[in-house]
Amino acid sequence: MPVMHRIGSSNSAAVVLVLAVLVAGCLVAWWLWSNQAQTTKDQRGRLRQLTWCAALLALSIMVASTVHPRYGGGRLWWIVLPIVALIIIVSRPRLAARIVPVALILYGLFGFVVARDYAFGGPVQSYGLTGVGNAGVEANLILPQAYAFLLLGGWLAVRSADPVLLTAKRWLGPVAEAPLGEQFRTLALLPVIAVTAGMLMPRIWLAAGAALILTAAVLYGAVLVIRRWRQRAAQAATVALLCLGVGGLAIAAAWHSSAPTFKTINVSAKPAPAKPQVSASAQPRKSLPAQPRRLGFLQARKLDLPRLSKPATLVGPFKPGALLKPAPATSLAGTVVSPPPSPAADVADVAYGQALPFGAVLVSSQGTAEAAALEGLAFLALGTWLAPQTFPRVRRMLGRPSEAELSERVERLTKSRAVAVDTASADLRRLERDLHDGAQARLVALGMSLRAAERLIPTSPEAALALVVEARETSVRALTELRELVRGVLPPVLADRGLADAVRALALDSPLHVQTEIDLPGRLPSPVETACYFAVAELLTNAAKHSGARDARIAISHSGRLLRLEVTDFGLGGADPALGSGLAGVEKRLATFDGILAVSSPAGGPTIVVMEVPCALSSPKTSSY
Amino acid sequence: MRVVVAEDLFLLRDGLVRLLEAHGFEIAAAVEDAPGLLTALVSERPEVAIVDVRLPPTFTDDGLRAAIEARSQVPGLPVLVLSQYVEQLYARELLADRAGGVGYLLKDRVFNDDQFIDAVRTVAAGGTVMDREVVTKLLGRRAREEPLARLSAREREVLELMAQGRSNSAIAQRLFVTEKAVSKHSTSIFTKLDLAPSDDDNRRVLAVLAYLNG
Repeated sequence: MPVMHRIGSSNSAAVVLVLAVLVAGCLVAWWLWSNQAQTTKDQRGRLRQLTWCAALLALSIMVASTVHPRYGGGRLWWIVLPIVALIIIVSRPRLAARIVPVALILYGLFGFVVARDYAFGGPVQSYGLTGVGNAGVEANLILPQAYAFLLLGGWLAVRSADPVLLTAKRWLGPVAEAPLGEQFRTLALLPVIAVTAGMLMPRIWLAAGAALILTAAVLYGAVLVIRRWRQRAAQAATVALLCLGVGGLAIAAAWHSSAPTFKTINVSAKPAPAKPQVSASAQPRKSLPAQPRRLGFLQARKLDLPRLSKPATLVGPFKPGALLKPAPATSLAGTVVSPPPSPAADVADVAYGQALPFGAVLVSSQGTAEAAALEGLAFLALGTWLAPQTFPRVRRMLGRPSEAELSERVERLTKSRAVAVDTASADLRRLERDLHDGAQARLVALGMSLRAAERLIPTSPEAALALVVEARETSVRALTELRELVRGVLPPVLADRGLADAVRALALDSPLHVQTEIDLPGRLPSPVETACYFAVAELLTNAAKHSGARDARIAISHSGRLLRLEVTDFGLGGADPALGSGLAGVEKRLATFDGILAVSSPAGGPTIVVMEVPCALSSPKTSSY
Repeated sequence: MRVVVAEDLFLLRDGLVRLLEAHGFEIAAAVEDAPGLLTALVSERPEVAIVDVRLPPTFTDDGLRAAIEARSQVPGLPVLVLSQYVEQLYARELLADRAGGVGYLLKDRVFNDDQFIDAVRTVAAGGTVMDREVVTKLLGRRAREEPLARLSAREREVLELMAQGRSNSAIAQRLFVTEKAVSKHSTSIFTKLDLAPSDDDNRRVLAVLAYLNG
C-alpha cells in the first residue's frame, strides 16, 4: 500500500534553504551597502542582479521539487528547470528580475493546488521550503508559504523598477498612486479572493493546471474590477472579510460539534442504515476507475456537506494520517475510500473531506480548527476595521470621518477661510473709505461752516445764520450716511431681534411683495445670523432687479442642527450661479460656516434658492416688556 | 404738558429736556433705562412720552417694547418713539393697536425743533406721526400696485404728508396751496383708495396708514 510519495528529493529542502540564505545574505549586503555613501551605483546594481539570480535559481529548484509526477513532471524536471534558470542567469541576467515576481505569484497560487490535493486525501507534496516529513506538520506549512510567496511576488511586482513591471504598475494606474492606506483597502480584494479560491478549490474538481489558470484568471478579473470600481472593490473585500470571519468561526464550531460523533461511529464500526447516496459509494473501489473524476466530484459534494451540518451522517476519520492507512472498505459503509494505489492514480479516486483549507490553515484536527477560528477572528477584526473606511454609511453611524473626507474638509476650510479673511478685510477697507469720504468729510465741513459763522456773527449776522442752517443740514446728511453705513455692517433689527424679524423687516422694505414663513424659536450664533441675513438680502435684491417677479417667498426653519433658508421668486427664472449673479458670492460666504447653496431656476421660473447652514439654536430670549 | 423722557445718553437726554422745557413742557420724569421707563409711564401717567428705541439693559429695542407694553397697560397712552434708524417693522408694531397717539421719528428730526414740537403735540393730542422715511418706504413698495398707481402726482404728495400725520392746514402750508385744495385732494384720494371719508385728521391718518400697511 502506498503511503507517501517521496518524489524529487527530500534534499531539495536543504538546497532551497541554502539558496534562501544566500538570497537573504545578498539582500542584507545590498541594504547595508546602499546605506553607505561610498558604494558606487555599479556595485549596488551588480549585487541586486546577484540577488535576483539567486532567487531565480532557488525558485527553479522549489518548482522542480514540487512538480510531482501527478502534475505532469518527473525526474527530468530536476535537471531541466535549474539548467534553464542557469542559462537565463548567464545569458540574460536582467530577465531574472522580471521572471521572479511573476513566478513567485504563480508558485504561490500553485500552493493552493497542492493543498487542495492534500485535502482530497492525496499525499503530502514538497512545497516551498518543506519536504515530506511529518505529514500533519508539513501539510500545515503549505498554505502559509503559498500566501507568503503571493505577497512577496505581489510586493516585488509593485516595487520593481523594471520597465516591464513598471508598465504593469502604470496599468494599475490610480491604485498604485493612491496613499498606502487606500492601496491596502483597494487591493484587499486580491488576498480575499485568494483565500476564497483556496477554500473552494477542493469543491470543484479541475486538473491542477486548470485550477491554477482559473485562479489566476479570477485574480486578474479582480484586478480589472479594482481598477474600474475602486470603491466597490474595497466594499466587496470588506463584506467578504466579514463573511470569511464568520465562516472561519463556523468551521471551527462545526468541527467541535462533529468530532465526538465521529469517534463513536468510528469505534463502533457498525454500519448505520445506509442512506442511498452513501450506499452508492459503498461499492468496492475497483469499480471506480471507470469514471474516476466525476465520481470524485460527486463524492466530494455528498460527503462534505453533511459533515458540517449533520455530523451523524458523516463517516470516516478526519485525520489524513488515518486515511492513509488501509481503509476498511466494508466498514463505515465504504464511504472511506482507500488512497490511490499508485502515485500516478488520480486524486479523484480519493475520498474528499479529510481536510478543509481555510486561509492559511488546513483544517484537519483540533489544533487546526482552533487556528481557523483565530484566523476567522482576524478576518472579522480586519473587516470591522475596514467597514467604516469603505462604507460611508457605517462611518456616519460611527460619526467618524475618513482620511479622505478629512483632507477634503481641510481643503474646503482653507478655501473658505481665505474667502472669509478677504471679505473681512475688503469690508473694513470699504468702511474706512465710506467714513473718510462721507461722515468724516461732512464733519470737517460742519466745523468749517461753524467757524465761518462764528467770524461772521459780529459783522453780518444774516450770513452767519445761513451758514448755521447749512451746518445743520450737513449734520443731517452726515447722520444719514452713518445710518446707511451701520445698516451695511450690522442692520439694527438684526442686532435687536435676530434673523427672523430682520428678514421680516427686509421683506417689508423690499419692492417685491414678499411672503415670509419663518419658524425660528431661538437666536442663532451672531456670525451665522449676519451671514444668512446678507445672503437673503442679496437674493431678494437679485430677485427684484433681474427676475421680473412681483411676488417672492422666504421660508426659514431650523431642525436638528441645520438652518434651512429658502428664497423663491416667481419671476422669469434662468438664474445661474456661474453667470456672476451674486449667487457665487453668497455661496462662498456661506461656505465659511459649512453652509451650502442650491439653485433651481428653470426658464420661466420660479427661481428657488435653498441654503443650508449647520448651526445650533440658542434658547429663546424671554423678556418682561 | 407733562412729559416723560427716556434716553440713555446723557447729552441727548439733557438736550431733549432743555428743548422741551424751552417750549413750555413739564418734565415728569427723565429716565435712562427700560424698566425705569415702564414704571414712570404707568405711575406718572404723563400726557406724552418721548422714548428712545435703544435702551439698557439689553441695548436692543428695549425702549420700543417698553412703550408697547405700557400702551397695553394704559391704552392710548401717547408715545413718541425716537430712533437713529426707522424700520417699517417697528412702525407696524406701534400702529398695530390702531389707537392713535403714536409717533415714530428719526432722532435727526429734533434738529428742526418747530416741527418736532408740533409732532410731540400731535401725538399728545392722540394723533399719529410717522417719519417721512417710513412713509416713503410704505408708498414706494406699493407704488406700482393698483389703485395707488391711479393717484396723480399731487395726490401722492398729499397722501405722503397725510401719512406722516400732518393736518390739512400743515399740508396746505407745505405745498403752498389752499386748505380747500388739500381737502379736495384728500376726498379724491379717499375715493380712489375706496376708504371711508372722515373730517377728523387723526382718523384719516390712521386709515391711510392702515391702508398702506395692509
